[in-house]
Amino acid sequence: MKPKSHPMLFAARLFTAFALLAVPLAAVPSEGDTANLKTVDQDVQALKKQLIELNRDLFKLEEELLYPASTQVAVFLSVDVGTFFALDSVTLKVDDKEVANYLYTDREVQALHRGGVQKLYLGNLKAGSHEIVAFFTGKGPHERDYRRGTTLKVDKTVGAKYVELRISDREASLQPEFVVRQWE
Amino acid sequence: MHQRLSTARLYALCIFLVLGAAVAWTVQADEPSRDAPAPTQVRDLDYGDVLFHFFQDDYFESIVRLEANRDFDRLQHHAVEAELLAGGLYLSLGLHTEAERIFDRLLAGPVAPAVRDRARFYLARIGYQRGYYEAALRNLGLVEQPLPGKLEPERRLLEANVLMGLGRFGEAAKRLESWSETGGWSNYARFNLGVALVRAGDTARGRQFLEQVGTLQAANEEQASLRDRANLAIGFALLQQQGSEDPAAVLSRVRLDGPFSNKALLALGWAEANANRPDRALVPWLELQQRRLLDASVQESLVAVPYAYVKLASNGQASEHYRSAVDAYARESRRIDESIAAIRQGGFLDSILATVPQGDRPGWFWQLEQLPDAPHTRYLYHLLASHEFQEGLKNYRDLRLMQANLSRWTDSLEAFGAMIEAREIAATQREPRRQEMLSGTDLAALAQRQQELADRFAQVEAKREVAALASPQERAQWEALARIDAALAAMPAGPQRDEFAERARLLRGALSWELDRAYKVRATQTGRDLRQTRAALAEAGTRLAAIGEAGDLVPRNTQGFAGRVDELSERVARIAPLIDATALAQERALADLAVTELQAQQKRLRSYSTQAQFALASLYDGATAGGGR
Repeated sequence: MKPKSHPMLFAARLFTAFALLAVPLAAVPSEGDTANLKTVDQDVQALKKQLIELNRDLFKLEEELLYPASTQVAVFLSVDVGTFFALDSVTLKVDDKEVANYLYTDREVQALHRGGVQKLYLGNLKAGSHEIVAFFTGKGPHERDYRRGTTLKVDKTVGAKYVELRISDREASLQPEFVVRQWE
Repeated sequence: MHQRLSTARLYALCIFLVLGAAVAWTVQADEPSRDAPAPTQVRDLDYGDVLFHFFQDDYFESIVRLEANRDFDRLQHHAVEAELLAGGLYLSLGLHTEAERIFDRLLAGPVAPAVRDRARFYLARIGYQRGYYEAALRNLGLVEQPLPGKLEPERRLLEANVLMGLGRFGEAAKRLESWSETGGWSNYARFNLGVALVRAGDTARGRQFLEQVGTLQAANEEQASLRDRANLAIGFALLQQQGSEDPAAVLSRVRLDGPFSNKALLALGWAEANANRPDRALVPWLELQQRRLLDASVQESLVAVPYAYVKLASNGQASEHYRSAVDAYARESRRIDESIAAIRQGGFLDSILATVPQGDRPGWFWQLEQLPDAPHTRYLYHLLASHEFQEGLKNYRDLRLMQANLSRWTDSLEAFGAMIEAREIAATQREPRRQEMLSGTDLAALAQRQQELADRFAQVEAKREVAALASPQERAQWEALARIDAALAAMPAGPQRDEFAERARLLRGALSWELDRAYKVRATQTGRDLRQTRAALAEAGTRLAAIGEAGDLVPRNTQGFAGRVDELSERVARIAPLIDATALAQERALADLAVTELQAQQKRLRSYSTQAQFALASLYDGATAGGGR
């Protein structure tokens, strides 16, 4: 038996085309919803701005209170090229006391490779001579486990002391190079 | 036949498809770290620290450190870059107004042409995102040189999108035709333009652009998805035209297990049905019917399948499918009712965000795919297709993260307060000793005495007074000899006095010789001792001054810090309820949006249900009429 053609079936087909196009429209908020969202968004923007300012002031207070410039020492870590060494972790000792032991995520390593510099340690030191030792662990050339230490004698004076640990490539020997230097 | 997919995700992406240009753009622009400046030589370590967080997409931490370090004046060598970065960070945190203010400020100052160009570009992007196309185009027109790295293709895409936004499709097409770049950006641009032209009625030209994307060799999932979208768009256009070209061929290019397969299967079914091949239409539609009913295409397949059966004269099967469709629509509508009720109760965003992995990475929305099938979460992923919903959810999440951050600071502030108090107590306890030391030390008298000794030594050196540097024992011997001389003078002359005098002379000579011999060593030693005394006095002066100063500074410092701790604690206390209120307002706004959307879905389900019921009635009528004949 062949059914007779019914107008509703044709209507269903038309509805299909409508539905295909109407679907995205359904997701578009109404004017009232949009206006409400815009108002909330403006409030959120203002609040976020206040929160950033508040966090900035808290950040400054913490540093000034806990690490005054007269005793402050900051140790940074950077990577220059770094093709011969894949960084896993760094251990930092000041005057033979371990002050930082940091294990790196892939994201952090990527951030270092893109030019970011990590503030590895922030602490206080009395005026005078001190020894800073850093141990780098990771994979060296040919995927071999690699551990290397580097030392720096620093003379802490009245102002804040900045020290940079830099991992770079020594092209001549195809080996990584670990440099530690003081910033004025 | 197909790998089972999350239909919620498909639905979301299907919406992207038809929204076309704007959505394709958003997908790209939501990853601000792509805009990152190429690594440069960091000349201020603290700027490197800001970049370290920026490159990890931790924009909030990055902007806080940037602002703090700027206040500390530690970004002197990167002042302009830092300003540009700040603008980008504010933009990525959704603070458009602040970002715009920064870029305008940059442009008002004397900056390098490259910086100026980037500021113009960012302003154009803000303008585009807010729908100010004319302003965006004006800013783009002022960019003089090609932008660095990935910003240049993004600029070109932005320009094409802005032109499309203004309805100037011809110009957008011209820009694209001269674009030889084969990376992802030009494909997005071509796709956007193709969709825009089709929607504007210029199907032939639109098809040309979409074909380019629809036949590309996809190197990754992103490109493969874009290719699917292009083919689907062509398929839809052909389907609506109902011309001579069979859309089935193009629709078959869409992957069966991709995010657009539901739409493609539905459209493929209609293409077959239009070509009077209902048996072949059933293949995609029956597959579709097995998928989750959340998806609009799946919903439609419930009435499409019986339609094909009617065409095949299988009215019994058709009736059965229509009946089950009506039941399914009713069930789904009840589930939506449950969801609406759950969403209106509030708290639905928190439970959703609890399932999101940590870390504010671009595209984290799509990880919501695995949301539990509970009434308040069932449709959320589906709702994320709306840009407004995405922005709102992101705002809500930002606020909650900032609230957690503030809570940590509250604990720290308490610790700081205690620390300052301890410092004050320690300073108070030290004060008596300090005062005693300050009052009991007469540095001026000591300095005067030191000067007198130095003057005397200068005389000794000038006259070479060897006896002046004699040891106490030698001095006693020297004085004894002087007394002997006096006694000898009183003695009567004679051999005995001569003998004593001779012995005294010999003793004096021996002593003088000894004093003279030791003089050089003693003078050197005395000179050194005097210099050391002078240095020790100076050191004592410095220390005493420091002790005096410390007494003055400590109370002032602790009071200064205490004041800051109090002020910040007040600000934290003031802002915390504001966060709650704003987060609640955001949740309500999103709940309204969600309910609006869910009600629209219900309306659609009701329409489908009505269609099914009418069709069913029609079949019964036909059966009755046929039976009566």
